[in-house]
Amino acid sequence: MANTLRLYLTCIRNTLEAAMCLQNFPCQEVERHNKPEVELKTSPELLLNPVLICRNEAEKCLIETSINSVKQSDELENILTKKFLRFLSMRAEAFQVLRRKPVQGYDISFLITNYHCEEMQKHKLIDFIVQFMEDIDKEISELKMSVNTRGRLVATEFLKQFI
Amino acid sequence: MILLQSHSRFLLQTLLNRLHNLDKAIELDYHWVEFDDVRYHIQVSMKNPHHVLLSVSLPTPPPETVSAFYGGLPFGALEAIKIAYSGIVQILDPPRDGFNLTLKLNLSKLPPDEEYRHAILVKIASVREVVLGAPLRVILKGLGSRTAASNLDRLVALVHRPKESFFLIPQAEKVTVVFPMRFKDSIDIVLATSFLQEFVEARRTAGLNNAPLCLWSPTPPLELKGAPAEALSANAGFVTIVIFPRHVEGKKLDRTVWSLSTFHAYVSYHVKCSEGFMHTRMRRRVESLIQALDRAKPDSENSKKTGHNASFKRLSLKEGRASRK
Repeated sequence: MANTLRLYLTCIRNTLEAAMCLQNFPCQEVERHNKPEVELKTSPELLLNPVLICRNEAEKCLIETSINSVKQSDELENILTKKFLRFLSMRAEAFQVLRRKPVQGYDISFLITNYHCEEMQKHKLIDFIVQFMEDIDKEISELKMSVNTRGRLVATEFLKQFI
Repeated sequence: MILLQSHSRFLLQTLLNRLHNLDKAIELDYHWVEFDDVRYHIQVSMKNPHHVLLSVSLPTPPPETVSAFYGGLPFGALEAIKIAYSGIVQILDPPRDGFNLTLKLNLSKLPPDEEYRHAILVKIASVREVVLGAPLRVILKGLGSRTAASNLDRLVALVHRPKESFFLIPQAEKVTVVFPMRFKDSIDIVLATSFLQEFVEARRTAGLNNAPLCLWSPTPPLELKGAPAEALSANAGFVTIVIFPRHVEGKKLDRTVWSLSTFHAYVSYHVKCSEGFMHTRMRRRVESLIQALDRAKPDSENSKKTGHNASFKRLSLKEGRASRK
């Protein structure tokens, strides 16, 4: 299990590394505008083929690339995930690269623009995203476990009263 | 605190306070609400500092249990109050507006013995257990003494939350209790469902062989055949607990009555607690992730380095000249 996760994350890391050669690219339609092309998709010649990386049916990661921005989305299952990721999205401003609303069909999305790449070191940014995915995976399984442990304790204590 | 306590802590504290300052006449008028929409009101007037008026309002009963209410109180509650508080308490009729029951306590009639007095006050503070648990108590007592009740094999509905009830099927050898579990929030539903399944799992462990049988099913169990349709919709499934005479022997009766009548509150309380715990964890995780993102920024690292970097030393003019000489 841990092995498949590592392969999945390595694959994402390599794809991101390839995808993140971004440059400043002013908007072609409107003068003095500069927008993430991957979001607006106004000019097809600026977009690259999206890459979809799957770990299993439920968990997948979509990386969409354009000349000045990369969009990466990630899907995991279960209600804990939803809760956790909503919690994260509400704090999106602290993360800068986190999209406030995930791409449809996914649980969380990052939008990385050329400005982020200029501000931060690219490899560290990739490190962050990979660590993020790893951490969330770990955190959710731990949360799930703690809920189960708690449930067991609560049930045991309740039933003990009758003995 | 894992288990819910049967006495209202605030009520007990208020009564104890009053008792310690009995000679001081003061005006008291408190309102408060407890879980499952049980409301309390306590009043002490300047004129009679020894008398305390305690009013309790119960959750609104759903239609199927209305018939089991006599004068705003569940079946058997009046007798239970009289037995539990004989001598100290007087039931006022009619009760205060908006309440189901008003009790008049005479604090000067409490026994002088400190320990005994405290026990009585705790009993008074557990008034909700006495009133709401009364019908359940009557049925379980019948089971304990094995006196075949007249309402054998008939479905009995008892109110435990506003407009919600749980069901009892009394039989000669056992009483089957069925709780339809409802929660408002979608996350609550998921957590509660996993908790309820743990009840079934926990029952299987060796140490709990004597505990009551515990079952969970997402659909209404067969026992609820005669129940009204709106009582059969539960978004977190149905819990069935089977109580045998050994669970209601002697002193166990009180505890069994209390834990069964607050089963929903108990589960809901722990669901909320684990949600709180999850939030704490998530907040901590967010912090560590933000740190990871900060590491990606070159500025923060540089500024740190300059703080420690001692390769360059700025010489003042004087020092410069001195070194040249």
